Amino acid sequence: MPPKRKAADVGRSARESKRATPVPDVTEVSSSDEYSDPDDGPVEDNLKAGKKDVVNKFSLESFSKRSQSQKTDPRFGYKDLSYLPLKRDHYNRPLWIEPVKGTITLESFSPLAPQAQDFLTTIAEPLSRPTHLHEYRLTGHSLYAAVSVGLKPEDIVEFLDRLSKTPLPESISQFITEFTKSYGKIKMVLYHNRYYVETVEPEMLQMLLKDEVIGPQRISNGEGIIERAAPKMGALVIPGTKDAAGVRETAEQTKSSAPGQNENEGGRQNYGIDDVGDEPAEALTYSFEIPPEGVEVVKARCQAIGCPALEEYDFQGDTINPNLDMDLKPTARIRPYQEMSLSKMFGNGRAKSGIIVLPCGAGKTLVGITAAATIKKGTIVLCTSSMSVVQWRNEFLRWTTIDPGDIAIFTSDHKEKFKRSTGIIVSTYSMVSQTRTRSYDAEKMMNWLQGREWGMMILDEVHVVPASMFRKVTSAIAAQTKLGLTATLLREDDKIKDLNFLIGPKLYEANWMELAAQGHIAKVQCAEVWCPMTTEFYSEYLRASSRKQALLYIMNPRKFQACQYLIDFHEKRGDKIIVFSDNVYALEKYARKLNKAFIYGGTGQNERLRILENFQHNEQVNTIFLSKIGDTSLDLPEATCLIQISSHYGSRRQEAQRLGRILRAKRRNDEGFNAFFYSLVSKDTSEMTYSSKRQAFLVDQGYAFKVITHLQGIDDYEGLHYATPSERRELLTEVMLQNESSADVEQVTDDLFSMRSGGRNTAAAKRAKAKRSAATLSGLAGGDDMAYIEYNKSKNKQLKEKAAQHPLFRKMERDRLRRKKEREAALQ
Amino acid sequence: MPRAVRGLLIECDPSIKAMILKYDEDHHEYIVEDLDDENHLVIKESQLEALKNRLDRDLDEKIMQLDESESE
Repeated sequence: MPPKRKAADVGRSARESKRATPVPDVTEVSSSDEYSDPDDGPVEDNLKAGKKDVVNKFSLESFSKRSQSQKTDPRFGYKDLSYLPLKRDHYNRPLWIEPVKGTITLESFSPLAPQAQDFLTTIAEPLSRPTHLHEYRLTGHSLYAAVSVGLKPEDIVEFLDRLSKTPLPESISQFITEFTKSYGKIKMVLYHNRYYVETVEPEMLQMLLKDEVIGPQRISNGEGIIERAAPKMGALVIPGTKDAAGVRETAEQTKSSAPGQNENEGGRQNYGIDDVGDEPAEALTYSFEIPPEGVEVVKARCQAIGCPALEEYDFQGDTINPNLDMDLKPTARIRPYQEMSLSKMFGNGRAKSGIIVLPCGAGKTLVGITAAATIKKGTIVLCTSSMSVVQWRNEFLRWTTIDPGDIAIFTSDHKEKFKRSTGIIVSTYSMVSQTRTRSYDAEKMMNWLQGREWGMMILDEVHVVPASMFRKVTSAIAAQTKLGLTATLLREDDKIKDLNFLIGPKLYEANWMELAAQGHIAKVQCAEVWCPMTTEFYSEYLRASSRKQALLYIMNPRKFQACQYLIDFHEKRGDKIIVFSDNVYALEKYARKLNKAFIYGGTGQNERLRILENFQHNEQVNTIFLSKIGDTSLDLPEATCLIQISSHYGSRRQEAQRLGRILRAKRRNDEGFNAFFYSLVSKDTSEMTYSSKRQAFLVDQGYAFKVITHLQGIDDYEGLHYATPSERRELLTEVMLQNESSADVEQVTDDLFSMRSGGRNTAAAKRAKAKRSAATLSGLAGGDDMAYIEYNKSKNKQLKEKAAQHPLFRKMERDRLRRKKEREAALQ
Repeated sequence: MPRAVRGLLIECDPSIKAMILKYDEDHHEYIVEDLDDENHLVIKESQLEALKNRLDRDLDEKIMQLDESESE
């Protein structure tokens, strides 16, 4: 939800917008005071200032403030829109368009909603999509995306006007035309591993060269301005889509009904795909070269002056980079939403850079693979951990006809090159962006990577990677297109906007609810369980420091009971349960008390695999406890229920990623199947605040959280832990004895970037530490009177396979059984 | 010499009880008897209004805090 802007703010933003006036012609450049002195600081500073500027500029808010002075109502502020007349038949039209910020509200119960929704996802960015009302926002980026798939500005305006309940506000139509008219004039081209700025209009080029930011970036010793014939383009079919199927089917001359149906399908969603006719009259393009370091600066500047540089890759016309012999297997069918996201990427027969947002478990990998199979050039895939590197490689082999020799892995253990002239490299972000000295062969490998020109770079889980690392990666490796894949395009810091420059705009965002309704991901019931704090715990809570407070509300015995009850309840239903806890102390405590297996950063690799295997196949093991390490990349389709007992403050991303663990549930297509997501929250503590914050993203995706204040039947439940006050007091003293550090969230050591942060050393250091304790010799020899009982034995240990018996004992056992049988026979 | 105090049995949430216990720590001005369960207390009748006000104030503050951090 955007924060409410008070009426007092109006003056401020109006001032801001004056600076960011988006007039894309030459006069603006000279009148802008922002860049009047290009050489007075390092480029970075300039870039940052430019970025802020652009971000402001790209919201309609600043745009429309300029064009009309708003009368503000004391109660509604800028939202007083009573001056907009309603159309006569407004009840038949599904859209409310708000002129100031460009927010579009869609009544999703209207009969026109499906068409409107398709259209809106093309031209605007979805903000929030609960059941009845959807919210979208028009932004510069979304409009560029719309134009790039072939929509004309007049059509956008007309269509919006037709669907809107009020006549389309003047500011909106102005915004649309202003932002779209300069689209596509400048292109950023990678040619022979060098970057060029290209345009079809000589005047535009002159303007760029005179620009005080872009001008100096030009490499002067190069050939100067280059004239080249504009490339022609052909028709493109994305493999695996219905269109492709249609092509095949008609070739095979099968039933005539199938292609007709395809056409319908195609017509509905591919209104963008038909060729745009990219200024065919102009046969020449003009370009000048810029250095790779300057790419980002130039891109940001181009956006700032209102004519964003396009990064499109005409891969069909590319004859320099060798083609890769790869195709999707005929069995691979991509789902409609995957097709839609790809059709946005390959909007006009060329590949655009950008980010595709799909929920966890909805087949992001397949989208990446299909894109690679469409481009058919050298591809580099970057992911977050060495585990997913292996997964990506396997998926490539599974879905495509690629030769296994053409796909190579570059991690700290494997450094391969593909055998022929081109192929696919799968690696991790940390491998590629490392700046410390590398081993000899890694260095050699890197040089090789940097020396090549790549057709496409696929960036998996883009949201996790810090922007600085991206800069390194994207500047180090020359790729024609960059495709970012993620489920949760959000960060608690505001770095997400940087991705716009580093990769590209958001191309497509799937609607979670729609996918759930179609059965591509599981339906999930979300619930927030409020657990009251006991008096003792709350007394300590009021007194404690904030770090200790966290430990107290996590260890709240009522929460423990709720957890125990829910686990038991769902185990009886036959669910497989994952319990998440960020806090390792609590994780271990809960798991041991409830006698369940648990995995955290300190768990060894073998033990992890054994536990996960048991969870997947063993009837006896229905619950596992996971720490933060299970948040991403863990693929457990068996899990159907998720309980969260502690979490990383207000991180919306974590919440969504965790939910993602159960979205791919195997049983999702069973009749009436629901997955369950519980978040246990201690009442009256700061956890409540965090919890409501965390849910924001999922609520925007249309999930409804139920609040449970009392679990039905928990009072009659037998064998509840911590049922008596004395037990609770015991727990409290134990918790109080813990030092503050155990309240901390686990430092994940073996996930992303651990190699760099020295996480490896900590584990080694722990092992190497010697343990000294005083004891008598007789005691060590067993002479003292000592008994030993193990309480709360870890379930992890019990999952170990029984050691194979020695043959001698097996024989004795067999003999014993035989004798027993004989005796019984004799008795009868 | 025995002294009689007019007491009042109140029922509240465990967390509220914890708050009252905390108030009482400094001067012992509210509580007559802490009944050993989750949500009952005997307090001095004369202090009822003062206690209510104090709780209202503190709880309001808490909620305000929540609101602020939410809008961030």
